[in-house]
Amino acid sequence: MKEKSYKVLFLGRIFVGLIFAYSGFIKLMEPVENFRGAMAAYDVIPSAVIPLLSQVIPWAEFIFGIFLVIGYLPRISAGVLAGLSWSFVILVLITRIATGSLPVNCGCFGEGSLIHLKPLQVVFLDIFNTLIGVKLALTKDHPFGLSSVLK
Amino acid sequence: MKISVRSLLTGVLLVLVLVTVVFFLKHRRVTSAKPLPVPAGVGHYAAFPKVAGPETAPVKLVVYSDFECPSCRLAQGLLAAIFKDYPGKIQLTYKHFPLTSHHWSIYAHQAAECMQVQGKFWPYHDKLYEKQPEWAASKVPPAEMFAQYARDLGADMNLFSGCLTDVAVTRGIYAEKEEGAKRQVGATPTFFLGDERFVGPREMKEKGVNAIRKVLGLPEIPVPVTPEPAAAVPPAAQKKEILPPSKT
Repeated sequence: MKEKSYKVLFLGRIFVGLIFAYSGFIKLMEPVENFRGAMAAYDVIPSAVIPLLSQVIPWAEFIFGIFLVIGYLPRISAGVLAGLSWSFVILVLITRIATGSLPVNCGCFGEGSLIHLKPLQVVFLDIFNTLIGVKLALTKDHPFGLSSVLK
Repeated sequence: MKISVRSLLTGVLLVLVLVTVVFFLKHRRVTSAKPLPVPAGVGHYAAFPKVAGPETAPVKLVVYSDFECPSCRLAQGLLAAIFKDYPGKIQLTYKHFPLTSHHWSIYAHQAAECMQVQGKFWPYHDKLYEKQPEWAASKVPPAEMFAQYARDLGADMNLFSGCLTDVAVTRGIYAEKEEGAKRQVGATPTFFLGDERFVGPREMKEKGVNAIRKVLGLPEIPVPVTPEPAAAVPPAAQKKEILPPSKT
């Protein structure tokens, strides 16, 4: 993709990358039990997988978020983050259908964060993130990034 | 998509750096917590310990809770069940942790602390959770509702009203919250059993109860595969009041 036409997508890449890097970082700074408790608030998530997910998700968000910002493996990073975004959208919808309600706090940014969004607010954000992430994952060339330097 | 060796090595190096940074910052954050200097004016009031259960109880639970928090309200049923299932074995200490995102929370905590001064914390605590849907939905500060609850419990209303506007009491509540923040409490309810922490009613039910049973030398209860529906808030739990010491 030509650099000129990539500029808007570049802004999207930075935005999505920063959101996830921040989200993951805040969770990693807090005790893992905090995020585990936030996940447990979604009744549809089986108890058996919560410990593993509560360890893996913050690292995935942080590392792939940073990768996306600096443009390292941008297609893979964008794909992973788009997958995480879409998973949360599905989680909220299933929880709403199955239980008729949603947790008060989405648990996405950790309680120590400056950002406190309700689940529905995060749904809209994550739909946006998914769209940007998918577009980035499908884009072959990513100028303004580490991967283009390493080629 | 081909990834060159150089690119792969760069990735490995990046991951190592990021992981190192995270562990370094996390370790620094945990070990650098220092006691805060006591603000002027707070010396003449410290939030009273709000303890239910015998001093001799082998299980000492601490809960950081917010009166306006729906999950905390849900947890009351679980706590009532724990007290009922293990009579005389549980001591629970309540710690204020009003969340800033809850508009009326600090009012509720102030009112509850004022009832603690009169030795009526636990009945008032139960009342606040029982009536939470009403007062939390109020468009104006629910001061009159809180006063009515106090009246219903036979409080000295002169003492109660005077206490409600006492800034020192407010500072004492936030000092308790700050203590929780230093323990990295980030959500309510957060339960502590020694150094073990359980965040939220589901974690407490699935892991905390078994941790309690372990302390009591009892076998573990299997964790249900799917969570049970949220229990209704029970009537006021039978908690034995422990009278506060004199004001310092």
